[in-house]
Amino acid sequence: MWSLTEFFLKHKHWFVFLLLEVVSLLGLFSYDGYQKSVYFTTANGIVGNIYSAVSSVTSYLTLTSTNRELEADNERMRQEIIHLKAKLKVANADSIVNHGLPRHYSVVSAQVVNATLHRSNNLITINRGTKDGIRPEMGVVCSRGVVGVVCLCSTNYSIVLPLVNTTSRISCRLRHSEYFGTLQWKRGQSDITYATGIPRHAKVKMGEVVETNGYSDIFPPGIPIGFVKRVEDSADGMSYLLKVGIFANFENLREVSVITDYTQPERKILEEQADSLTLN
Amino acid sequence: MLLLALQISIFNQIHIGGDVTPLLIGYMLVCFQNDVSRTGLLVWGFLTGFLFDMFSNTAGMASASCTLLAMMQPKLLKLFSTFDPNEIFTPNIQSMGLWRYLTYVFFCMLVLHTAFYALDAFTLQNWPLTLIAIGGSTAMATLLCLFSEMFVRRRK
Repeated sequence: MWSLTEFFLKHKHWFVFLLLEVVSLLGLFSYDGYQKSVYFTTANGIVGNIYSAVSSVTSYLTLTSTNRELEADNERMRQEIIHLKAKLKVANADSIVNHGLPRHYSVVSAQVVNATLHRSNNLITINRGTKDGIRPEMGVVCSRGVVGVVCLCSTNYSIVLPLVNTTSRISCRLRHSEYFGTLQWKRGQSDITYATGIPRHAKVKMGEVVETNGYSDIFPPGIPIGFVKRVEDSADGMSYLLKVGIFANFENLREVSVITDYTQPERKILEEQADSLTLN
Repeated sequence: MLLLALQISIFNQIHIGGDVTPLLIGYMLVCFQNDVSRTGLLVWGFLTGFLFDMFSNTAGMASASCTLLAMMQPKLLKLFSTFDPNEIFTPNIQSMGLWRYLTYVFFCMLVLHTAFYALDAFTLQNWPLTLIAIGGSTAMATLLCLFSEMFVRRRK
C-alpha cells in the first residue's frame, strides 16, 4: 500500500497532466464546433465499423439457424407453387382465357387436334363443339392473333377455316392509318397472306400491324393478324397488295380460343332485313 | 497577465498568410526556473491556456497545448542547459547562452504550436497548410520571445 502511495506521489505530475489534458479535451469536444463534429463523425465511423465486425461474427455464428429458416421458407414456397399451379390449371380448364380482348367478350379455350397446312383449302379441327357453345362463324384466335373462323360444328368438335385457306376472307385494317382491306391467302407459305383493297393514297409503313377492323360480327376490332412485309401493286393497279406476315404460327399451333358471344343477333337480324328490303 | 493581454489584443490579430498566428503565451512557461514543482507548472500552464481559450473562443485547444508544454518544459530545459541538475537557474540568454537559449525556446514553441495547430486542424486533410502554420508560428513566436528576452534583459 505504501509503495502504491509512493508510486502515485512520485508520478503525480503524470496524473495531473492526464487529468488536465482530459479536462481540456472535454472542453474542446463539448464546444459545439468543428472538432466536435469531426470527433462525432470519426467516432461514429469507428463504432459503425466495430458494430459491423461484431455483426459479421454473430451472423456467421447464427448461420445454422438462418439456414434452417431459409429451408423452411423454401419448403413453404415450393408448396405454394404447387398449389398455384394446380389453381392455374383449373382456371385454364375453365376456358376463360382473354387474348388481349376486351373484357365483355368471352372465349372458350380449345386444343387443335388436327390441321392441314399444305393444301389450298387447309382446315383445322378443334376439340370443342356445340355442347361447348361453339357455332359456325365464330372467330378463333390464339395468343399471337387471329387464327381463323369456325365453319362447321359437331357436338364435340369443330372445323376452323384458317387464314391459310384460299377461300378465307377476313376484313382487316392497318393499325395506325386505319385503311381497311381484305385478307386473302395464296397457296404456298403458311406464314404469309395478302391484304387486298388498300387504297393507293394510304401511307403504308413497313412493319405496320394489320388487325381486325370489327366490321364483321366475327372478330371484335383490334385483334392483331400480322404485319406488313412488303407493299406491291394489285393486278388492276387500283390499290395496294400488301404482303402480310402472319403472327399466328400454324406450324405448331396447339392452344386456341373461340370467341363465343361476340356475334350480335340483333345486328344480324337488322342487316338481313335491310338486305331483304333491297331485294324487294 | 500583461503577456496574456498582449496576446489577446495584439498577437491574436496577426494572421500572416492566413494561418500563421504566434502564441506568445508560451513564453510564460519557458521562463520558469528549473526548481519549480512540476505539478505547479502543469496547473499554471493549464490556467494560462484556459484564460487564453476564454478570450479567444478556442475552447480547450490552448489549455491542452499549454499543459503539454508545461509537461515538456523541464525535460527540454534539462536537455538544452549545461547546468548541473541540482543547480537552480532561470532560463535566459545570460544563463544559457544565445544559441542554447534559442534552441530551447524554439523547441518549446514547436511543442506548443504543434499541439495547438494539430488540435485546430484535427484532420490530416490539408496537412501542408497545417505544417506551414506550425512552422511559421513557431519561428515567429521564437523571434518574439527572443526579442522580449532581449528587451527585458536590457531593462534589467
